[in-house]
Amino acid sequence: MRAAVQPVPDHVPQELVSSFNLFTGPGMEPAPMGDPHAAIETLLAGPPVFFAPGNTRNGEGTWVVVRAEDQRRVLQDGETFSSNRNIFASALGESWPMIPLEIDPPEHSKWRSLLNPLLSPRRVIGLEPIVRERAISLIEAMKSRGTDADVMKDFCLPFAVSIFLQFLGIGSERLEEFVGWATDLLHGTPAQRTEAARTVVSFLDELRDLRRQEPTDDFMSFVTQARIEGESLSDMEVRGMSVLLFIAGLDTVAAALGFDFYYLAQHADQQELLRTDPKRIQLAAEEMLRAFPSVTPVRRATRDVELQGITIRKGDLVACPSMTANRDPAEFPDAGKIVLNREDNRHVAFAYGPHRCLGSHLARREIVIGLEEFLARIPTFRIKPGTAPITHGGFVFGVDNLQLDWSEQEKAQ
Amino acid sequence: MKVKVDAAKCQGNARCWTWAPNLFELNDEGYLDPGDVNVPEGEEENARRAVKSCPERALTLEE
Ligand code: HEM
Ligand code: SF4
Repeated sequence: MRAAVQPVPDHVPQELVSSFNLFTGPGMEPAPMGDPHAAIETLLAGPPVFFAPGNTRNGEGTWVVVRAEDQRRVLQDGETFSSNRNIFASALGESWPMIPLEIDPPEHSKWRSLLNPLLSPRRVIGLEPIVRERAISLIEAMKSRGTDADVMKDFCLPFAVSIFLQFLGIGSERLEEFVGWATDLLHGTPAQRTEAARTVVSFLDELRDLRRQEPTDDFMSFVTQARIEGESLSDMEVRGMSVLLFIAGLDTVAAALGFDFYYLAQHADQQELLRTDPKRIQLAAEEMLRAFPSVTPVRRATRDVELQGITIRKGDLVACPSMTANRDPAEFPDAGKIVLNREDNRHVAFAYGPHRCLGSHLARREIVIGLEEFLARIPTFRIKPGTAPITHGGFVFGVDNLQLDWSEQEKAQ
Repeated sequence: MKVKVDAAKCQGNARCWTWAPNLFELNDEGYLDPGDVNVPEGEEENARRAVKSCPERALTLEE
């Protein structure tokens, strides 16, 4: 699947080289009934900064920064730790940044100024009715088909994709097609990934050209009409933005909901508590974002810099898994425990610093509304006997094949 | 009681606003503008929670 592991650079001290990486480390490979968050939590007992060979898709090793305080330093300092990596484009043999993720400060802020208002907390309130409507219609469709379902396939992913389509302004008629592209792009073989990436890029390019000619009131029209410092955006800039918005909010939202259902299926008492008292869902969703985050931001050092007494050389990659920061005992009392009514919760599922997730306000509402409608409409569920969900590590942790069953309850009613 | 705002650190997580919408005003981009926030009576608990939930450590409490 991945390129060969590249040799460890000479300046990395041997004693700091670990056998861990996000793809093949203990608990990271796809595993039935796995718990990759508990597996990666064990890093907190080891050195605060270490080197992980083969910690990227192209086989390059990275430093791993384990603790929250050190991650905050890395992620808040976009000048020393650059995110300009062109990952999506380079997979296609091209070179353009995803915007704003792969743009460094100070230029970064002009892009955020343009995009922030589109996904601000207030704007998201306006999107709520549509988010709820999408959740209800997917859940009801699933329910009408029986008393068990693969909720990743039938709810979590199509839900996330359909909100993106809504945001883009293309309605849900093309939902299945998009879910297919998203699935190939995120979970396919290398050949499927590349093919899906090309398809998505050309779809978004076409939509851009269309909206440039005939603007409506959707996202694409907004960015094609927008001006930054008096200039309209180039085709590549519009592409870089729309591709990022497509990929940033799919797997991440689906994974968050997936891990939540996986946890609740195994904790019937907690599930019942949320079902009978839905006001608890908001705090619970935050705690589950803390306990089951999915993303590992990666940066490249632009100069030699010291972290925890270790010299990171210019050009080295630095990975900051939100999974370890979120279980750092220096940040959270009982960090390893899941406390669904936890109040002081400065978790970093959405990262820190200038690149902090642009879609976090929408993501939060998707998760809360998804949980609310699911718990209100589906009776007590458990993992379908005889099946085992597959969890995986990697740059976006996730859960696949999550078969839930609510037949016992249906009979009892 | 006062909340000191380090606006340079604010990244628009809006956690403060979620806990205390009456205390914190987000600008159109979703960030806090510079300027300390006076906490009226009855809002102390919300202010405390807001300060404690800012992941960027942009807020500090002055009793
Ligand atoms: C639970 C769901 C989500 C999680 C856990 C999540 C997490 C993250 C993280 C950790 C980052 C920082 C990456 C880095 O610094 O390298 C990020 C950035 C970003 N996210 Fe999200 N995200 C989620 C949902 C969304 C959604 C729904 C959208 C779109 C509507 C979105 C759009 C973005 C964008 C555009 C960026 C780049 C921001 C920048 O570079 O300034 N995300 N996200
Ligand atoms: S919680 Fe902190 S970062 Fe977020 S909006 Fe409030 S002050 Fe800004």
